[in-house]
Amino acid sequence: MFTNSNDAESSEENFVQLFAAHERHLRAFVRSMGLDWNAVDDVMQTVSLVMWRKWNTFDPDTDFMRWARVIARFEVLKFRRTMARDRHVFTDDLMKLLADASEEQSEGSRFESYRSALEECLGSLPPASRELISAAYRGDRTIGEVANDIGKSATALYKTLDRIRQNLQICIERRMSQV
Amino acid sequence: MDNNPQPGAGDDMLTPLILGHLDGRLSDVDFAVLEQRLIDDAAARDLYASLAKLDAGLRDGIEMAGAPVNLVTPDGKAFSFPVRKVLAMAAALVFFAGVTALLLNKQGGSDLQDPGRGTATRGVAVISAEAGAVWDRAEGSEMGVGVALEPGRLVLSEGLAQIDFYGGASVSLSGPAEIELIGADAAILHRGRLRADVPPAARGFEIRSADVRIEDLGTSFGMAVTDDNSSAEVVVFDGEVRAIGRDGEALSLFGGDTARLVEGVARPQSELPKGDFPNIRQVVAGADDRDESRYAAWKRASIERRSDPRLIAYYDFEDLTETSRRLENRAAIGTGSELDGGIVGARVTRGRWAQKTALDFRLEGDRVRFQIPGEFDALTLYAWVRIDALDRQLNSLFLTDYFDPNEIHWQISREGKMHFATSPMGVQDIDKHNRRFYSEPIWDAGMSGQWILLATTADRGDGTTPGTVAHYVNGRQVEIVDGTQMHKALPKMRIGRADLGNWSDPIWTTAMRTFNGRVDEFALYKSALSAAELELIYQQGKP
Repeated sequence: MFTNSNDAESSEENFVQLFAAHERHLRAFVRSMGLDWNAVDDVMQTVSLVMWRKWNTFDPDTDFMRWARVIARFEVLKFRRTMARDRHVFTDDLMKLLADASEEQSEGSRFESYRSALEECLGSLPPASRELISAAYRGDRTIGEVANDIGKSATALYKTLDRIRQNLQICIERRMSQV
Repeated sequence: MDNNPQPGAGDDMLTPLILGHLDGRLSDVDFAVLEQRLIDDAAARDLYASLAKLDAGLRDGIEMAGAPVNLVTPDGKAFSFPVRKVLAMAAALVFFAGVTALLLNKQGGSDLQDPGRGTATRGVAVISAEAGAVWDRAEGSEMGVGVALEPGRLVLSEGLAQIDFYGGASVSLSGPAEIELIGADAAILHRGRLRADVPPAARGFEIRSADVRIEDLGTSFGMAVTDDNSSAEVVVFDGEVRAIGRDGEALSLFGGDTARLVEGVARPQSELPKGDFPNIRQVVAGADDRDESRYAAWKRASIERRSDPRLIAYYDFEDLTETSRRLENRAAIGTGSELDGGIVGARVTRGRWAQKTALDFRLEGDRVRFQIPGEFDALTLYAWVRIDALDRQLNSLFLTDYFDPNEIHWQISREGKMHFATSPMGVQDIDKHNRRFYSEPIWDAGMSGQWILLATTADRGDGTTPGTVAHYVNGRQVEIVDGTQMHKALPKMRIGRADLGNWSDPIWTTAMRTFNGRVDEFALYKSALSAAELELIYQQGKP
C-alpha cells in the first residue's frame, strides 16, 4: 500500500497532516457518543486505519472532518456491538442522536475557537482548581489516590470536580457566544 | 419528558449524571435514568455532547506531553513516520499546547521545561540571535541561540532576543518582556515590546494581546504592551496589519499607521508610541558584540589550560584554514607536535562563535587521525560538539582503531546515550570482559545544532576495586543507567591509533560510526577531572 511514487508520498503526507490536525477533534466526537476512553482509543485505531484505506475516496475540496465523522460514526456503532451492556454503553439509536448533537455543535463553531475558549477559561480558574483538574486528568493516579493525597473522600473530590467542570462549561459557553 | 426546562451546564440534576457517566462511575440505576433522559430530551443530548467535548479537551490538554500519534498501518504495525512528517504533525499538535501549558503549570503559563529533551520535538520556534539576553527560566532548562522552543511562556528579563517561528515569521523581543508561544504562527505578548517581521510565506502570523489579535498581512510591525497588560500600542512599519477586536471588528492598518488597543478594541491614533522597537539588525549587532566577549573569555581560559600538567593532549581547533591538514596539539607539556592530529576529509567551518573555527564531520571519510602512546590509570576526555544528527546506531566521538586490549571507545548512541568502554581482553569474549558505561539519554533531535560540552572521566584507582566512570554534559554529571561488567576493575587504559569522529579500523567491516556534526575543542587528560573543574570548563566555554 505504501509505494514510493511521489504521488503516493504526498498523498500519505496529506493524510498524516490532516489526520494529525483533526485527531483531537475526532476523538472528542467519538467520545461524545458515550464511549469510555479505552473504547475511544480502540475505535480511533480502527478509524485511522479505515480512513487511510479509504483515503482515495476523500475529495480534497471537501471538509475533512465531515468525511472523517461519517467513518467514525460507522466504526463506533460497529464497535459498540462488541461491548457488553454492563459497561454502560448507550443504545445504537441514542448513540446516533448524540453524534447528531455533537456534529451540529461542531458545524456551528470552529474547533480552534473552542480550544482558545477552554484555554482562557482554564486560565481564569483559581490555581487550586486548576491543579485539581490537572491531577484528575493526568491519568497517572486514580481519583481515589488523588482524593487520598488531599485528605478527601473520592465522592467529595468528584463533587468538587463536577463543580469546577460545570463552571468551566458555563465559562466556555459564555466565551463562545461572545465571538 | 420534553416539558423539562431547557437544561444547561447549570442544570443541577443533569450535569452530575453526565459527568458521572463520562467518569464511568454511575450506578446502574443512574445510568438508566440518564439514558432515558437523553433519549427523551434533545437539549440534554446537547449538554452531553458539550461536556464530552470538555472532557476530551481537558484530557487531551493533559496528555499532550507524551501522546503517541494513534495511527497504525494497514497490517496493524506501528506506523513510523519520517522525522519531517513528525514535525509537520507536531505543528498540528500545537493545537492543544496552550491548554496543556495551563494545566501543567501552576503559574498558568508554561516555563520552558527542558526544551530539547523528551521523546519528540514539539518546537514551534527557535532562538536565532541574542544580545545580552537574560531569560527567567525553569531550573535545569537551557536557553540560548539554537534552542528549540515549545509552546509556552517565555520571560526575557533583559536584553534582546530574536525568535524565529517555524511558520516563517521572526520576532525581535526587547526585555523586560513576556511572550507566550501558542504555535508556529501565533503568540501572545503579555508585556513588553516586540517587532515582528513577516515574510510573504508567513502571512497570517498572529500576535495577541489583551483581547486584540494582530494579524500580519505583510512585512513588519511593532507592538508594545504595558506592564499591567491593560493596553497595547501597535505601529505598522511596512505592509498591512489587521487588528481584530474582541467583537470581531477588524481595523486595517498600513505602513506608518499606529493604533491603541484598549479593552478589546483597536482605535487608530496619530502619535507614535514612545520608545524604540527592537530591531533585528540591532539584535544581530548585539549578538556580535556578545560573541566577541564570550570568545575572548574562552580564549583566555583556553590559553591558560594549555599549561595544565595533567594534559595528554589539547586541541583548540583554532586558526584552521581550508588547507589545514594538521590539528595542532597545544598542550604546553608533553610531546607537543608528535601528538598533532591529521585532518582527513573534515571541513573547516564556524565554531561556537563567529571568531572560532571548527571541523565539520559528515561524510564517511571525515575524521581526525591520532597516534597517542602511553598507558593511563585515569583519563578525562572532553569535547565541545555540535551534533546535527545521530545517524548511526553508535556515533563516534573518539574511537581507537579496532578495539585491542585496554583500548578505549568513546561514543554516543542513536538514543543519545553516552558510551564509554574498555576491555582488558579487547574483542575476545566481549560479553565477559567489556566494561561498558552508558549514560541516560542526553541528546535528542531537539538539540540538533546546539553546541554542548561532552565529557567522560574514567579512573581505575589502584586497579583492585571497580572502576569509576562518570559522564558529564555541559559540566553537569549525568546518570549511568546501563552497562556491562561495571563491577570489575578497569585495566590500564590505552589509546594508540585513534579517530575523532570516525572509526578507521572497525571490528566488523560493515560498521559505520561516522559522526554527524561539528567539533571545535577536544582535550585528553591523564587524570579524572573533578565535577567542579568540568563545570568551570563549561562556564568558560559555553557559547
